[in-house]
Amino acid sequence: MKKGLVYLVGFLVLFALAACTAKESAGTEEENGAANEKEAVEGKILQLNNGEEPTSFDPAIGFDNVSWNALNNLLEGLTRLGEDHTPQPAVAEEWEISEDGTTYTFHLREDANWSNGDTVVAEDFIYAWKRLLNPETGSSAGFLGYFIKGGEAFNSGEGSADDLGITAVDEKTLKVELENPTGFFLHVLTNPAFFPVNHKVAEENPEWHAEADSFVANGPFKLESWKHDNEMMFTKNEEYWDVDSVRLDGVHWVMVNDINTEYQMFERGELDSAEIPAELSDQVIDGDNVQIVDQGGLEFYRFNVTEEPFQNANIRKAFALAVDQENIAEYVVKNKAKPAHGFVSPGFTNPSGEDFRDVNGEIVSFDPEEAKKLLEEGMQEEGYEELPRVTLSYNTDNVNKDVAETIQGMLSENIGVDVELENTEWNVFLEDQKALKHQLSRSSFLYDYADPVNFLESFITGSYMNRTGWSNETYDELIANAKSEADEVKRWEYMYEAEKMLAEEMPLFPIRYYNQVEVLQEGVTNILRHPVGYLDLKYADKQ
Amino acid sequence: MLRYVGKRLLMMLLTLWVIVSLTFVLMVTIPGSPFNSERGTNEAVQSNLEAHYNLDEPYIVQYVLYLKSIATFDFGPSIKQPSQTVNDMLGRGFPISFELGIITIIVAVISGVTLGVFAALKHNQIIDYLAMGFAVLGISIPNFVLATLLIQQLAVNLEWFPVARWLSPTHMILPITALATGPMAIIARLTRSTMLEVLTQDYIKMARAKGLAPWKIICKHALKNALMPVVTIMGTLLAGILTGTFVIEKIFAVPGMGKYFVESINQRDYPVIMGTTVFYSAFLIIMLFLVDIAYGILDPRIKLHKKGGK
Repeated sequence: MKKGLVYLVGFLVLFALAACTAKESAGTEEENGAANEKEAVEGKILQLNNGEEPTSFDPAIGFDNVSWNALNNLLEGLTRLGEDHTPQPAVAEEWEISEDGTTYTFHLREDANWSNGDTVVAEDFIYAWKRLLNPETGSSAGFLGYFIKGGEAFNSGEGSADDLGITAVDEKTLKVELENPTGFFLHVLTNPAFFPVNHKVAEENPEWHAEADSFVANGPFKLESWKHDNEMMFTKNEEYWDVDSVRLDGVHWVMVNDINTEYQMFERGELDSAEIPAELSDQVIDGDNVQIVDQGGLEFYRFNVTEEPFQNANIRKAFALAVDQENIAEYVVKNKAKPAHGFVSPGFTNPSGEDFRDVNGEIVSFDPEEAKKLLEEGMQEEGYEELPRVTLSYNTDNVNKDVAETIQGMLSENIGVDVELENTEWNVFLEDQKALKHQLSRSSFLYDYADPVNFLESFITGSYMNRTGWSNETYDELIANAKSEADEVKRWEYMYEAEKMLAEEMPLFPIRYYNQVEVLQEGVTNILRHPVGYLDLKYADKQ
Repeated sequence: MLRYVGKRLLMMLLTLWVIVSLTFVLMVTIPGSPFNSERGTNEAVQSNLEAHYNLDEPYIVQYVLYLKSIATFDFGPSIKQPSQTVNDMLGRGFPISFELGIITIIVAVISGVTLGVFAALKHNQIIDYLAMGFAVLGISIPNFVLATLLIQQLAVNLEWFPVARWLSPTHMILPITALATGPMAIIARLTRSTMLEVLTQDYIKMARAKGLAPWKIICKHALKNALMPVVTIMGTLLAGILTGTFVIEKIFAVPGMGKYFVESINQRDYPVIMGTTVFYSAFLIIMLFLVDIAYGILDPRIKLHKKGGK
């Protein structure tokens, strides 16, 4: 028996040795990593991971990041975000905006073509947008079309497609009438939901977007092949009007839905870009090949103001000020997350070029002393001897759990309140949050288009996104003005005002702004990630 | 025999019906819906979608429609990926999962039995200790840990194998190793202990005394009996391997069925939940049935059917 033990130990040591062999710095061979699809296309091929199968390449249906990553490079709308993240001419070469700001006339490029040779016409946009707003389509992006005259009515089944404010003046001229002057309409148009659809192809084959053979592109790349749930191959679209700016010959996409595997494939040279797993963040994040860009959005916690003790604004503020965002961002979330001391994330510039965040400054800052005072005041106002029990809810996820536990600790330490934690699966969580069944719950917001009102309007009375029970007439009015004011300077004033009001009333409190972090192989450049979440490979290059 | 098979088939259908019904009940009772999203859609759109997938019908009607779709084996389109039908997904994913599963079983049985036999023959010698040490490790290391370890060492550091995906035989080695190690270890331990027992039996001594070649004794006489317990646990192992593939497929980005099974539940994609559940349970039930049949063939002492009393 003793002998056996010796052998076992010896075996274990061997095993451990094998497991610890230092990494050999071998050349970047690709022999068995090369995919069969990839070999078929010569030249500069960027290798990316999309995580999972795109939901749909039908622009009205594929309303999520896994679809946008691809769609934003296959199709192109009237405007496209440039390197400075502002809308630039794309299919529309130029446009005129009427005096009152409600009518846009777009002139489409003569040389804007589809990959099958058809020319891109105004009717392609009209077809796509009518589909987007048609209640029969069941698009979850429909609300984006409400800026267009008659959009909301049509989408809610009251109006008709003929009443929509979109008309083709001629084959290459599109006139769009809006409900209100919408200063950021060109931004909205960059969303993939507004991409055109080749109406001739679509009328013949409604499922044109489902397979590579029938897909027609008008963007920098076209869809060469698509093995569902497995891989995709894009090649340069020779019909694209700006094909000379496209430096890649193709993009090979895999669908690997495991962040560790993705990173290991990157290490092995099978991918050109990868996310950084949280456990490796400390080692990798400071490298030269790491690209960090802002993503418009906010992680925050919602109070339910219809339940005790959060009907009281002072108690809400006490909770908010007891949470140290710096600490959470740096030690819990890591990956250079930015602590949030306001609600609107940085990166939105007003007409005079100032950042929204800089103008309004830090409006929610960690202050345990003030928090204690506010809590006392609040408890007095409500006549509480003891604070009612509070449960903090989050949807099941490792990072969410770490953040929630940290907040639990901070509340206990800074204001002496012990909260209970509760987690549920996403779908259940969302349902409960909407039904106001939570007291204090984890939330997140990602922008659909680059204007602060996109986020701020969530908290108007009765909004689907509100989910706090909070309602304030002055706030509602400010947002209504921010959506309809023609004078941009005034419009921004309304938004500043609205954000300050959120800090005053605190129906929610901020945790951090989102960012997009990736490691890139040497020689990979110009992968553009916009704060609104779309990936642009038009200018990407690989040595 | 035929009567027995017929009876079993009926039982199988009944089991399947119970599973389908339970799944349906669970499906409609869990909160959330496939159209639940951060951004709300307005009511017109919502009700259109629900009508399209018959979700506005009373439960009993939905249930009948489900039974119908199972009977005709046509589950319709997925809700989340409307341009894909569930049949497309099963048709794409199943061959790959099956390939992964079947090779894993073959590898596990062959290597497990070999290891077990050698350990038994060299009882209390080095080989025995090595093999059993290996088996203990194999049983105690979960497959997803082993998978990560294999990728890091053999794919990333030594660059012997590709990291992930399912393209060529070299791509298959790591996932199959990760998945097969656990079952292999169980089989090896089982084989060893029954083999030890069998080797002390009188008929083996008899065979030896008759001067039969050692390999003949082992292969023809000992092994056949020693394998019985292995066949017995095959059913459980099969279920284990099937569920193991969910994790392994994710880690190695194998485009099999596991993803649909897991994701569909998270997304409340009802047709896909139904399709994968029915498919998996039918598959497992049939496999268990085959194991039982094989049992009867291997061991004549086990009667598959009761002969009527004379």
